Amino acid sequence: MQAASLGIPFQPVPGLHGTDLPATSGLAKVRDPYSEEDVYVVPSIRPDWAIVHVHEADDQGNARIHGSPGYDLVMTEAAAHVILTTERLLPSKEFAAHPEWTKVPGILVTAVVLAPGGAFPCACPPDYDVDARGIEAYLRAAGSANDLEDYLSRVDP
Amino acid sequence: MSVPPDIRPSELMTVALARTIRDGEVVAQGVNSVLASLAIMLARETHARTLTWITIAGGINPVLSELPESSASPTWLSGTTAVLSNPEFYRLAMRGGVDRMFLGAAQVDQRGRMNLSLIGEPEHPRIRLSGGGGAAVLAQVVRHIVVWRTQHTPEIFVPEVDFVTAQGNLEAVVTPLGVLRLRDGCLVLTDRFPGNSADEIAARTSFPVLHETPVRVIEPTTDELQILRELDPRERRELEFPRGR
Repeated sequence: MQAASLGIPFQPVPGLHGTDLPATSGLAKVRDPYSEEDVYVVPSIRPDWAIVHVHEADDQGNARIHGSPGYDLVMTEAAAHVILTTERLLPSKEFAAHPEWTKVPGILVTAVVLAPGGAFPCACPPDYDVDARGIEAYLRAAGSANDLEDYLSRVDP
Repeated sequence: MSVPPDIRPSELMTVALARTIRDGEVVAQGVNSVLASLAIMLARETHARTLTWITIAGGINPVLSELPESSASPTWLSGTTAVLSNPEFYRLAMRGGVDRMFLGAAQVDQRGRMNLSLIGEPEHPRIRLSGGGGAAVLAQVVRHIVVWRTQHTPEIFVPEVDFVTAQGNLEAVVTPLGVLRLRDGCLVLTDRFPGNSADEIAARTSFPVLHETPVRVIEPTTDELQILRELDPRERRELEFPRGR
């Protein structure tokens, strides 16, 4: 995805030497034209869609992420289209007051969905922690379509 | 010599993991890493007060009153002065900015190669595991890799792993029985905990682990034990062990 964010076909990565991963994942090795050392290259992944959960967004798709953004930012740059789900909707003037706090610029975003508690039963630091019982309930329900539907209607009535 | 009855395998392992850390190092841990996290907290309170800790939650040097239960807990951000994204962490590691990392493994072989991918024949695995995350890269860019595993059996410590997920800068493997390190490219037993003889440990390992150098005995100090128990009052260090031990 880093390669996709840069619009290049592959990303050289250090490591992987002597492991079984390149063979099973079909990773090619190329000769670094400068040092002449071998390096593995990972092909670009350009998803059609990225769905990213954020803490605050406006209706233009500008978004703030508190806590670590994890892989969210590289996903928003790699994907062709981005859907944000957000804990809170804020007026755009809040973003204009502190544009340097915006982590995802609205120009990358196709749609914004207001979804408070949208990361449940997982965590959304610093707003809320993992819900271990919620994860157990999800795992019990995930085995069948009917149970999953029940579960979803319970957690998001 | 037997283990003093009030010292648990989780505590012996935490102390052994902590003692691998040198003061001043940049140390990182991944998800689901209770013992490694507690070991870093212990080292920071004892012999490695100036270590830099980067957690999987992205925080640098969190101030924690106790060991959090989940890798995703908001508590990990307490007192931290910077929060990294995952690509920022990987870029730091790939350019050589991380000294030490703690990794798990399903199997470890005589040459110190780690399997986190599958059990059985690679084409038709009996068990498919969740994979190595970034281990294949990290094990070759982080200077010191320490592996821990809360069980020590012949099925885990094998002559050759079923699949090589990662290999590289392995420094030590910590188990409930002791510590293995590479000597001349082969893992050998260098330290043992009280309660298991070197021969007993060798019998639970599927490759020869006895080397000509004597096996040291690791015993926690009273201070180490007291501090680690204070850092983990809810005994989350037991979470990585089979229930009802």
